[in-house]
Amino acid sequence: MKEEVISIGNVWKKYDMGSADPLVVLKDINLKIYTGDFIAITGPSGSGKSTMVNIVGALDRPSWGGVYLKNRNISDLRESALAFFRAKTIGFIFQQFNLIPTLTALQNVMLPMEILDISEKSAKEKATELLTMLGLGERLNHKPTELSGGQQQRVAIARALANDPEIILADEPTGNLDSHTGKFVMDFLGKLNKAGKTVILITHDLDLVKYADRVVHIKDGKIEKEVKK
Amino acid sequence: MKLKKSTHLAWNILIHSKLRSWLTIIGIVIGIASVVSIVSISLGAQQQVQNQLGNIGANVLTVTPGFSKAFGSSGFVGGGGGFRVITRNGGPGEGSSSSSTTQKNLTINDINTIKGVSNVEYVMGEISNRETVSYLTKSATLDITGVDTSTWSEVTTETLSSGRFLSSGDSNAVVIGQNVATSTFSNIPLNSKITVDGKTFTVVGILSNGNGIYVPIDQARNMFDVGGTDYQSISVKISNVKEANATVTAITQRLMLERGEIQASQQDFSILNPSELQSTIEQTTGMLALFLGAIAAISLIVGAIGIANTMFTSVLEKTREIGIMKAIGAKNKDILMIFLINAGMIGFVGGIGGVVLGAIGSGFIGSLASGAATGGGGFGRLFGSTALTPALLIGALLFSIIIGMIAGAIPAYRASKLKPVDALRYE
Repeated sequence: MKEEVISIGNVWKKYDMGSADPLVVLKDINLKIYTGDFIAITGPSGSGKSTMVNIVGALDRPSWGGVYLKNRNISDLRESALAFFRAKTIGFIFQQFNLIPTLTALQNVMLPMEILDISEKSAKEKATELLTMLGLGERLNHKPTELSGGQQQRVAIARALANDPEIILADEPTGNLDSHTGKFVMDFLGKLNKAGKTVILITHDLDLVKYADRVVHIKDGKIEKEVKK
Repeated sequence: MKLKKSTHLAWNILIHSKLRSWLTIIGIVIGIASVVSIVSISLGAQQQVQNQLGNIGANVLTVTPGFSKAFGSSGFVGGGGGFRVITRNGGPGEGSSSSSTTQKNLTINDINTIKGVSNVEYVMGEISNRETVSYLTKSATLDITGVDTSTWSEVTTETLSSGRFLSSGDSNAVVIGQNVATSTFSNIPLNSKITVDGKTFTVVGILSNGNGIYVPIDQARNMFDVGGTDYQSISVKISNVKEANATVTAITQRLMLERGEIQASQQDFSILNPSELQSTIEQTTGMLALFLGAIAAISLIVGAIGIANTMFTSVLEKTREIGIMKAIGAKNKDILMIFLINAGMIGFVGGIGGVVLGAIGSGFIGSLASGAATGGGGFGRLFGSTALTPALLIGALLFSIIIGMIAGAIPAYRASKLKPVDALRYE
């Protein structure tokens, strides 16, 4: 039986809009994610899928409800504890790559490890290994502006794997890539899943859901349906 | 995150910052340079005062004819880099004694009276004038001072470069200042013969500095055609400097009694107390430094506001990067530290530039003031030297870093408190 790695229970998220009525983005969301899941969260723009993933990834806090990591409520943790959780447990892959533009590919990948006070030598070795594995061994000292979109996303994947997290959270990872590079990224996420990583994919591209073993469709802030393959 | 990594990231922000950051740094450079220049000039002036008063000696009081509440009866001229009390009445080009009271010369009776005052160790009368001095083929008109050979070595604050002071029994012997030996005349060795007012003297000593020429007082009287037992000034060496003011009061009372002056308005002599003079001049230069320093501080405050402004803009520019760093695990304190170090670095780089520019500036101002001094300006002489001490330079640098960090504290705090999700959304 699979172990529950992260779950959200009765989560609501609303944004105060001044004098206007508050904007309720998530309405009583309940979702359990298990170790080794490859879960795709889909839905149209404005459906609340990104907000939900921000809450799952501890980038945001729910207005009500709880977020549980292995049955421990993390939604009330202090910011520093949440930061540690993000560094240790989750690897983010963004649509916009979100690399630090003034750092080289190697330095970008080393950064999450250095945030956890891993020695520069060890971080450098691990970052070099990851980038080489992703075919960027010759681009270690290139800055993001000197890399193509696909190369930048591969650097971002390497960075997401730097601290060997249990969960990979990919928000529209192929959104800014051509189909060939997009396929490479999705295949790589599939490999990571097969290697035991839990992958949470946010996408509105229905072609990508074929990689997932669970598909959660969100509409108007509610889980409309969940399909297990 | 380790401090080394925070510093690296802060440095990375600085070197990739736009022209605006460098303009901010220029603001700090100007502020620190102003402070360094003014403080160094002020310290130099204070040292100059102390050095020059040191030549007089804090334990040597000087009694001169004529009375002034301040220094009206005593002018200052730069003889060998020292303040010197002018006791002649209207010596050409050297200031003059002026008093509202009827002026009476100092006499041997005055010396004997002063000897009876407690705390007085030695008393020596002096007379001086300008005479023609010749050595080999060269001649110059110089200050000649007649001193009591039995006490001069005890009272004088001059030091010898070579030879000896005048002593009892010396006749046709002379001690000359360093400048006379090396500058006025090309090179006068010890034991050589010079001519003063047509009479030949043997150089028995050369002082460490100064332009003076010292001869036995009896020969000076003949030379200047001053007879009797009159003196143009009396030097009084005291045992305990802490009791200088009390000794001045005691000497004043005794002399007035001895000279038949009953009312204070009849006093016709002045006593220069170097320690009191030093205190007054230090207060004046200190006030001047404070005033100029305040003006310099304004430019530094403007520079600090520039840092704050740049840091706020930098935080705005880096908002998305802050979000990325938080997403991958950076804590609030990591972000705070990076931006605080960045602000400190702006202060540091500005401080380095400011210290260098300040050192050059103070040297330039010092040389300008020295140039003015050669034209006879006392102000130029006072501010002609600067004091660039390691403590001043390091202090200015630390001050600049602290100013930078204070100015950057609020922007850095704001950056640290950004919500990761909001920061990531920032375009």
